[in-house]
Formats: sequence, structure tokens, C-alpha cells
Amino acid sequence: MSQTKSLNVEYNYSVVRLFAITTVLWGIVGMVVGVLLAAQLYWPALNFDIPWLTYSRLRPLHTNAVIFAFGTSALFATCYYVVQRTCQTRLFAEKLAMFTFWGWQLVIVAAAITLPMGMSQSKEYAELEWPIDILITLVWVSFAIVFFGTLVKRKTSHIYVANWFYGGFIITVAALHIVNSMVVPLNLFKSYSIYAGAVDAMVQWWYGHNAVGFLLTAGFLGMMYYFVPKQAGRPVYSYRLSIVHFWALIALYIWAGPHHLHYTALPDWTQSLGMVMSIVLFVPSWGGMINGIMTLSGAWHKLKTDPILRFLIVSLSFYGMSTFEGPMMAIKSVNALSHYTDWTIGHVHSGALGWVAMISIGAMYHLIPVVYNKVGMYSTKLINTHFWLHTIGVVLYIVAMWISGIMQGMMWRAVNTDGTLTYSFVQSLEASMPFYLMRFIGGVFVVVGMLIMAYNVYKTVRSKDEVAHAVPVTA
Amino acid sequence: MMEFATVHSILTVILFVGFVAFVIWAYSKKRKKDFDEAANLVFDDEPESKEQKTKRESDHE
Repeated sequence: MSQTKSLNVEYNYSVVRLFAITTVLWGIVGMVVGVLLAAQLYWPALNFDIPWLTYSRLRPLHTNAVIFAFGTSALFATCYYVVQRTCQTRLFAEKLAMFTFWGWQLVIVAAAITLPMGMSQSKEYAELEWPIDILITLVWVSFAIVFFGTLVKRKTSHIYVANWFYGGFIITVAALHIVNSMVVPLNLFKSYSIYAGAVDAMVQWWYGHNAVGFLLTAGFLGMMYYFVPKQAGRPVYSYRLSIVHFWALIALYIWAGPHHLHYTALPDWTQSLGMVMSIVLFVPSWGGMINGIMTLSGAWHKLKTDPILRFLIVSLSFYGMSTFEGPMMAIKSVNALSHYTDWTIGHVHSGALGWVAMISIGAMYHLIPVVYNKVGMYSTKLINTHFWLHTIGVVLYIVAMWISGIMQGMMWRAVNTDGTLTYSFVQSLEASMPFYLMRFIGGVFVVVGMLIMAYNVYKTVRSKDEVAHAVPVTA
Repeated sequence: MMEFATVHSILTVILFVGFVAFVIWAYSKKRKKDFDEAANLVFDDEPESKEQKTKRESDHE
């Protein structure tokens, strides 16, 4: 590879900067709503008897904000950044890329208005009504055009593995969104799914689990394959494994959806298929996790001094943990205990706060100084503080939910000798209360960490410590 | 006309054999050089000194 090749390229960072800043902004908004919800579960009066502030309406706002506003902004930012740099070329259709930014912000604002008003398609992670769904489709197709257009005009012969993950994520999310959002509109604000009964449930969880598999996993694995090697200063542990990882992961994930519908009206064989495929999924998940972590082999000492790398590597540990937990929970007999309990909430947050948020935060700390042409982040010490606040917060959260969830599962299934239930639902709720407080405290830790990040990012963007020359002179 | 289950059994076997062939391809000696180069693509997006680069390429595998 020639060293001078990339020197003539000027990357388009303007759209990356915008998405990077909104990642931090929406991260704070989404997590603050999450903490409010956690508080409401402990102090129910906190909905103030105002319909817009009820748990039922804020919960979809929280999930949409963290997944589609925070997580997806991080994906847009890193995807545009990585595809340019690994293809050694400038973005294709830059105006369209700008449209994806403003279009996506419009989606987020529309979500923030309609969800508290109670407008919903009642599909988890796909609550937004049909006019917003159409806007999402337009933005997403533009995203695909920009991304694949950039791949086509690449200056390298090989397409780096991160781009395979990003490409898989973009295509699959488009398919999932379009299929699951098929509705018959009643008016501008209300529609009904074209699917009925068990088919509707299966389509929803085919969508739901693949939103986890492709948006929250494949996309962020793309991030992992660029930022971990880059921050560690070493190539990925095994490039061959990364290729096998990609194909195995995307071929298997698509089948795992039925594990959300164990013991329902879904045919038994479909449930068993979903269970088996979910268990097999453990293999590529851990293959990828090991590939990421082992990239540090021989350079473990870097973890001591570099909190950004620590964010990235600990995110992989959480990824490994939740991709062990997930297949286990997909086993029908385990699911009989775990489903509908707080264990599920704990599992989701070890994935969302541990894996998705930590890899995104690490990537942002790496990328923000570069796109703003600064020497580095304003304060490494504050990154370290953020790391510990976040880690402690996540651990408090998931431990609380593990205890509460398993306790609920045990209490709900306990029966007396005469066959009656030992505990009423309210008794299990009362037993969970201390853990709801613990979760709330964990959430506060995470939000405080994010506020420190916002301050650090603000000081970095404002700093005068510019890199002497963005385009090196060795050419 | 073959039965639904037979068609799918054959398809499963074909996919499995295909996957094994794909893994063998990925791990073949012939591909090693190309993949080592590909793995270093992340470092070709900005200039660095020659010494750093040579040191890194010999790091893994």
C-alpha cells in the first residue's frame, strides 16, 4: 500500500461533525428520559397525572431516543467517517448526505412530538406512525446511496471489513423497516398493520430482533472493526476471522426472532427453530468479540493509560456477556422463567448501555478531535471519569435487574400445595422496589457521565489546540 | 415433485458445505498476504512513519 495515496484526499467531515454532536445531545436526552422512567417506577407520582408524562407514552420515547436518535446518529457519524477513510475517497453525493442529517433530525423531532401525544402503531421499536415511516424510508434510501456510492468510487481495491458490516446493516434495516411498517392508514395519525394475529407478531419480532441484530449489532461491529484497531494502533487480530464472522453473523441473526414469542400462538416448530438458531448465534457473536479483544494481544498495557481504548474493550466484554446471556434466555425453559420479568430489561441494558453506548462513546472520543482538527480531547482525565461513572452505572443497573427479574420469575411461578399461587402480583412488585431504586441510581451515574462527556466535547471543539496541518506534506 | 422437507434438507446440506468451503478459502495460505494488507487498510488513511508500519505488519498471525 502506498503511503502517499491518501494524502490528496480531503475527507468530508461536515456531516460527520453534525452527527457526532447530535450523538452526544440525543444520548443525554434519551438517557434522561430513561432515568425519569426509572424514577417513575419507584415514585409513581412523578407522572404528575399529566398524560404526556405517563410511563406508557414516555417509554417508547426513551427507546426511540436512545436507539434511533443516539445510537443511529453514532452509526451515521462513524459510517460516513469510516467509509471515507478506508476507501481513501471523499463521500459520494454530499448534498444527499446532508439531507440524511436534516431528514433524520426531522424524524427525531416528529417522534418526540407524536409519541408523548400517544400516537403509536403499537409495535415495539416501530411505534412511529406511517407518515414518519415514509420519511425514515426516504432518509434510509439516501443513506444507502451515499454509502454504496462512496464504496463504488473507492481508491482501494479491497473493501475493508467494517464497510461490509455497515453495508449489511444499511440494507437489512431498510428491508426490516419497509416490511414491518406495511399499514393501512385510517388518517394522517392512525393506521393498522396489514398483518393479522400470529403473523403480525412474527413479522414484528422478525423486525424487532433483527433491529437488535443489524442496527444494534452489525452496525456497531462495523464501528468496532475500525476504531478498536485504530485506537490500539494494531491491525485486527485475525482478518480471516472477521470475514467468517461477518457471513456467519448475518446468515444466522435473521432466524432468531421467534424467541420473543415462546409459549404464544406461534407454531411450536417456529419457536423451536428460533431457539436453536439463537443458540447457534452464540458462536459468531463470540468469534467477533474475541477478534476485537485479542487485537490488543501484546499491547494490554495500553488499557492502563488510554481510557478511550478502555471504553472500546469493555464494550466488547459487555457484548460477550450479553451474547452469552441472550442465547441462554432464548432456551424455552429458561425463557419460561425470564420472560416478562426485569431480567429481560437487564439483558437489554447490558447490550444497550454496555455494548452499544460504550463502543459509540469510545468511537466519539476518538473521532471528534480528528473531525474538528484538534490534537486530542480536551481532557483525558474527564474521559477516565466518564468511563468509571458509566461502568459503575451499568453494573448497578444490570445487577439490580438480574436480582429483581429472577426473583419475579420465581415468585410468579410459586404455587401452594393446593395449586393456588403463593404470591400476588403486587407482592412481587413490592419485593422489586429496592432494586428499582438501585436501577435509578445506576441510571443517574450514566447520565452524569454523559454530561461530563458533553462538557469535554464542548471544550474540545472550542479549543485552540489545532493540528498544525490537516493535510501532511510528505507527498 | 420432491417433498418440501426433502428440498429444504438438500438446501441445508448445500449451505453447510458451502460454508465449510468458504472457511477453507478464508484460511488458505494463499490468501494470507492479501488479508494482511487488508487488515492494515485502517492505517493507510493518514501518513505515518515507515518504521511504525513495518513493525505492525509482523504483529499478528
